[in-house]
This record gives sequence, C-alpha cells and structure tokens, in this order.
Amino acid sequence: MFQMSFSTFRERWELFIGAILSVGVGVALVQASMLVLAATGEPQIPPGTSRQAEDKIREGFVAAATVMGMTAFLAMFLAVFIVSSTFSFTVAQRRRDLALLRLTGGSRTQLRALLLSESLLLGVVGSALGVPFGLIAKYAQTRLLVEIGLLPEGFTAPWALWAVVVSGIIGVCVALAGVFTASLRAAKILPLEALRETGKAAEVMTVSRWFFGLSFAFCTISMVMWAQGANLIGAMMAALGISMFGAVAMSMLSPLVVPFTAWLFGVLVPGSTLVGLAQANLRDGVRRSAATASPLIVLVALLLGLAGTFGSLSAAGGEEAKRSVNAHLVVSSTGEEAERLAGIEGVAVASRQNAVDITITTEKTQNKRVIKRNFYSGIVAVDAADYARTHTLPPARGDLAALAGNTVFTGPARNADRIAPGQVLPAEAGGQPLQLTVVGGYPETLEMGDSFLVPRQALPRQVWAGAPTETVVQVAQGQDPDAVAERIEKAGFSQVQTVSQWAIARAENAQDGNVKILTVLMGLAGLYALMAVVNSVVIAGSERRREFAVSRVTGMTQPQVVRVAVVEAIGVAVIGLVLGCVVAGAGLVGIGGAVHKAIGTTVVFIPWTLLAIVAMGSVGIVAVTSAVTAAIATKDRPVSLVTTKE
Amino acid sequence: MSWNQHLAAGHRQGVPNVGCSAVELQQATRYYGAKNTGVAALDNVSLSCPAGTWTAIMGPSGSGKSTLLHCAAGLDQVTSGRVLLAGRDITRAQDSQLTELRRRTIGFVFQSFNLISSLTAEQNVAFPSKLAGVRVSKSDVRQTLASVGLADRATHKPRELSGGQQQRVAIARAMISRPAVLFADEPTGALDSHSAKMVLELLRNMVRTVGQSIVMVTHDPAVAASADTVVFLADGQIVDRVDMPTIHDVAERLARLES
Repeated sequence: MFQMSFSTFRERWELFIGAILSVGVGVALVQASMLVLAATGEPQIPPGTSRQAEDKIREGFVAAATVMGMTAFLAMFLAVFIVSSTFSFTVAQRRRDLALLRLTGGSRTQLRALLLSESLLLGVVGSALGVPFGLIAKYAQTRLLVEIGLLPEGFTAPWALWAVVVSGIIGVCVALAGVFTASLRAAKILPLEALRETGKAAEVMTVSRWFFGLSFAFCTISMVMWAQGANLIGAMMAALGISMFGAVAMSMLSPLVVPFTAWLFGVLVPGSTLVGLAQANLRDGVRRSAATASPLIVLVALLLGLAGTFGSLSAAGGEEAKRSVNAHLVVSSTGEEAERLAGIEGVAVASRQNAVDITITTEKTQNKRVIKRNFYSGIVAVDAADYARTHTLPPARGDLAALAGNTVFTGPARNADRIAPGQVLPAEAGGQPLQLTVVGGYPETLEMGDSFLVPRQALPRQVWAGAPTETVVQVAQGQDPDAVAERIEKAGFSQVQTVSQWAIARAENAQDGNVKILTVLMGLAGLYALMAVVNSVVIAGSERRREFAVSRVTGMTQPQVVRVAVVEAIGVAVIGLVLGCVVAGAGLVGIGGAVHKAIGTTVVFIPWTLLAIVAMGSVGIVAVTSAVTAAIATKDRPVSLVTTKE
Repeated sequence: MSWNQHLAAGHRQGVPNVGCSAVELQQATRYYGAKNTGVAALDNVSLSCPAGTWTAIMGPSGSGKSTLLHCAAGLDQVTSGRVLLAGRDITRAQDSQLTELRRRTIGFVFQSFNLISSLTAEQNVAFPSKLAGVRVSKSDVRQTLASVGLADRATHKPRELSGGQQQRVAIARAMISRPAVLFADEPTGALDSHSAKMVLELLRNMVRTVGQSIVMVTHDPAVAASADTVVFLADGQIVDRVDMPTIHDVAERLARLES
C-alpha cells in the first residue's frame, strides 16, 4: 500500500504539492513561534534600563509571547483546515481511481490505509520542508516583533532541536488529522463507481457535510449569543472562535450558495454565451467551486473578523475614555509645570495625573505560595477631589474621598487581581519606604487603564515634579473652551487637546498597536491561506484539461476557454468573499454586544480599507491564477486530450 | 414467451466441459427507483453459464446487459432472486465477502481498461495479489505479461502504452490470480480492429487452454461470435440465445431485436 501511495504521490504531485506546502508552512510557523515563545520566557533586559522601561520591555515580551502562541495555534488550525479541504477535494477528483482499487480487490480498510499512508508521506515531506522554512519564519517573526516594538532591538531566539522535533510531530499529526474525514469518505466509495458515474459521486451535500456544517454553524451562533453577555477578554476569545468555527461552517455549507451565485451571474450578464457556460460550469462543478472558495472564506473571515474585533475594541475604548472624563481639555506637561494650570484664567478644575516612577509591591497567595510582584508603571499620583470632579467612572469598591495620606486606590488594570480594601501594600518612592492602605478600586475598562492611583501629598515632591503629566481641565462656566485652550498655550504649554481629540488619539494609538499585532498574526496566516487559495485554483484547473479540450473541439478558442475559467473563478472568489464577510459580520455582532454591555453603547468598527484590499486582492489573485492554469492546461492540441482514454 | 433458461455447455470444440455453473442467476430482478414508478433493469432473469465456457451477453441499448454483468459479479445487488458465483450464493453477501471474492474468485476487463495510471504494467498486474496479501513473484508477473505479448512493456506506465496494449495488461491483471470467472464489459470497445482481434484471440486461448470461464457484455456481433454462447436481452429479460454462433447469426438476431 505504501508503494502505491508513493507512486500516486510521484505521479500526481500537483494534487499534493499544495498540501505539502501547507504542512511545510504550518510546521515552519509552529516551529518559529515555539522558538520565539521560548526565548520570550526570559526577557533580555539591557543593563542600565530604568525600572519603567524594564516594565515596558517585560510587557512587550508577554505580548510577543501571546502573539506567538496565537500564531502557532492559528497555523495549526489553518494547516488542518487546508490539508483536509485539499484532501477531500482530491478524494473527489480521484473517486474513479479509488473505486478501481475497490474493484481490483481493495478492502475499505486498505483504501483508508492508502489515504492515511499518503498523508503520512505528505506529513513527513512537509515537515522536512518545514524545518528550513522555520528558520526563515523565525527570522521574519523576530524582525516583525522588533519592528512593531514588542521586542527590543538585538532580540534573538536560539535554535533548539526540541522545537524541530515537536513541530515535525505536529506536522505529521496535522496531515493525518486533515485526511481523516476524507479517508472515511473514500472508504464508502463503491467499486461500481469505477464503471459509471453514480448518484453518489455527484452528491456534494453529503450527510457528514450537513452534519459538520450545521454543527459548526450552531457553535458559531452560540458563541455570538454568548459574547453578548461576556466580558471583553471573553468576547475577544469568542471573536477568534467565531472566525474559525464560522469559516468551517461556511466552507461546509458553501455548495448551497453556488447555484445562487451562478444565477446572479446570469442576471448581471444576460445573454452572453461565455458567461452562460461559466454559469453552467459553476453549477455542475459545485464541489470544485466549494473547494476553491473554502480557503478564501477562512482568509476573509479571519482577517476581517479579527481586524474588526480589535478595531471595535479600540474605538469603544476611545469612546469610553471620552465618556469617563467630565472636562474640556487635556494638557500634557511635567508635574511641576502642571501646577501653574489651576491659576490660568477660565480654568475651573485642573486634575493633574502624574505618571510617577515609584514601586508598589503586591502579594498574592496561590497554591499556598506567596507570590510577590513589583509594579513600576501605571502608577498615577492624583489629587482625589480634583480627580473625582473630572472623572465619572464610579469606583467598584470604596470611595475616592478616602484617598488621602498613605493610601492607594487600585486602577482598572488591577481589577482582576482582586486586591481588597484594607490590605496594606509596601511601596518605595524616591528611596523612601511607604505603607499604603488600599481604600478602594476601579472596575475593569475597555482600555487597560492605570494600575494604581496614589494621593500626591503622600509622595515626596521630587517624585512627581519631573514626571510626565496629563492634566484634565474643566473650563469655568461661561468660558469658551477654545479661548481657555489658547490662554493655556500662551502660558507655555505646547500640548493642549480637547477631550475628543485626546480620546481619538488614544484610540488611534491603541488601534495602531492592534494593527501592528494583527500584521504579525494575520500577515503570516493570511499569506498561508492565500497559498491555499492558489493551490485549490491550480488543482481545479489542472484537473480540467480534458473538459477544456472538449470545449475547444466544440468550437471555442483558447482565449475563450481561459475567459470562461476566469469568469468562473471570479464567481468562486465572490462566494468566498461574501461568506467570509458573513462570518466576520457574526464576529462583529458578538463584539458589538460585549461592548454594549461594557459601556452601554454599541461601537463597531468595520475595516473598510482592509475589506477593499482583501476583496480586490483575492479576486485578482484567483483570476490571475485561474487564467494562468487554464492557459497551461489548454496549451496542448485539444484532440490529443479528447482522444486520450487513460 | 420467456427465454429464461439454463444454457447447455455450448463451448467450442476442444474445450472440456467441467459440468457446474460458473455463474448462475435464479429469477433475478433488479429495480431502480420506487417499486411502482421505477424501472426493472433485470426482470425475473434465470441464467446459468457453465464453467469453462465463454458466454456473451448482447442486446439493444438499455436492455439490461451491464446490470446483469454487475449483479452477476457482485458489484450490484439484485432486488429479488438469487445470484450464485462459482457455487457460492452472493445474493446478500457482505462488503468484506465481496471484496474477498474480487480478490480471489473473479477478474474484470473493461472497455476503458481501468489501469491505475500511477503504476507500471507489472505493478498493475501484481497489484490485486498484493491487496489480497498474496506474494507474487516478479517472474510470475513477467510470465503473465509475456503470455499476453507484453514481455517488453513491463516497466511502462499505462499512458506509455497503446489501447490494445493497455487492454492486454488489464487481461494479465485479471488472469494472474487465476479467477474462477472473468467478467468482460465491452473489452474491445475502445480498440482498433487489429488490437481487438488480438484481445479476442487471447481470451479464446484462455478458455481453450486453462478452461477459463468468461462472461462478456458486447454490442459487436463480430466480438460476440467469438464466444461459445450468446444470450440476448431485451427490456431486462432473456429473449433469445444461440450456441456456437456465427457473426451472421448474431447480427441477424440483434437486428431483429432492434427493429
């Protein structure tokens, strides 16, 4: 059986090359992500780095680790998805060959064994390719992570044998898992199908396709509903799940919309003979159309779904920040400079927020072990009365009025740590030890927010005087905020923004970071899915040599055959795009609901630019690939193919 | 008038009559579709093909020839009646039993050759034995290929062979396991007259020398005339038969059926 697999492999390599590359790239991404992930475990802090900068580097390492973990996970998902869709397609294409095996005495088990040994070969070859690819991927990922500022310049992830072994095993397992359902389907092929096209061969919406399609659709809808009442982390995870499950559901159910698309073509371009043929081909080749659309659905669903989710969260964060501030202007300066703001004419309240460089230590008991953690950043010195007048977010615990003397209030970023009021946190400010009693805390917000608020009076002046400070200014009644802003600028403050401008800038800043992370995460995975799109177009085209030849002997010219193939491919791309958008839309409904629950209003970001790029890019790539494949498939004289029997 | 009957051993001169049936259908009916609105591709057919003989099945298009062959070979199941193959009742056989049957008891030759395109001629010939877990020596394979005149084509792939050569590889593949019955579906349908003649001589030689039982479907009177007996089907029923046929006999009866 292995010999048979090997010769099939050699003979019909074009059917498998895409799957091999999919496994190879999957292994490369998993291997590279694991190596980078392992290297982020021990943050490389250059000597002489300030404590706040060190905190920032550590945060970057944690974020990089998260991104790498997600990349590895996505790569595995895409590899299984692509290998399984490629294999189920090739099983459909090879139906007659497989029936012939049954006819010559092959048992169901042997047919399954044949496909599994083919996929084993594929897994081994793919994994072998993945190892050198992995080195390139590791370089690319490290470069991207440094480029977007998550990792410091000079970061290196050392090569490790274990990662190669683990990713190789994953590659083989992915290939075997991907082919499993296809092997079950192949085992059901009847020997009689070698002799004639039976109803079974033409049936596309099989029971298992309905079952998996509807099950995954049900899971997707459940996640959308669950996300409505979830917290934001939950909603983000749900968004990823919705994209993945929804993409699988839509891929499974895509044959149902193929006839509709064919009909739409007829409506848009009535009376054209070539479009008529493309329409008929689309209807007739439902399985082929669905197989080509599948990776495109995944690509669009993941790219737009996640971009929409991240974008919505950022936009909602900006909106929340704007609503939580009851003021007109935000001025940036040092702590010392900010002291003058209250005295400027027209300023009613100036709430100074100094980002101070102090240390606060928390203690947490986990599994009977006391874990100490030092915080150096996200600590803001405030004047409680001013802060309360300019900020509307109600505390989750305690009262801001109690924030005086040696006390501390926990910020939104520390809400999850459950630091209870009454606890005393050791701190160190400008070399002076402090004992700060927790008097309350803020709830979680969309933005990460600050970690701790401390009363300015509790800190030595030198700690806050030079600290970067944002002052939230409330303009006195009857005063024109613009005029007051002008006065503040005249007083020597260069950075004066309205609250709206400040909120938008914050959202854009957060969105910018998201876009960067998305670039790393989706850039590689997106390229990967695009490769699968090209692969399925190539398989579909190269398997149609005889059909193209028949069209030509019927009177079509070669350019006409190519044009029909391109029209069909565009139809398939449109199906992929629309269904992908449906999944992305479901993701946005989920995140929209979660945002509504968090801030009381629905803020949804639709990534129009990305949508336009993805739409034009994928239609263009599918059209060009299908044109090239059809041109190659029609380069031989048609009669030589039409008369070929075997 | 029903022509359903047990045929006598009508083999050509010099062929030993082994006396039992290679294939037997007893009141076999095969319906497609619902009972009331469906079509009876085979309608209460009884037929016995004696071992060691060559039976050709003829009839107009849609007469049920292929269905009869498929049911007789266990590729399709009759709706009612019985099917016996080499003395075994296969009417309701399980998939595993039928698989076993295809490995050891029957061989197939088709119009479209149905060789596995990725394997060479000798790999194709050895393949069914390998599936059955039977070791087959390279010399046996080469010898079988030599017996069909393809000793020098053993390492060629199907696409490197002519139609006639491919069909001879298919015959060698069917013969290597020494099947009790060889089923042939239009074995010369895709061949030129020279190749067709060569294939028919090969089949006749197998019947003569090793007593091979052959059941063949064809629409060509010249091909049918090579067989020992020709059975004519129309509308799913056996309507005529001729032993020791000549081309003229067969053509005349077929023309009568089609008119």
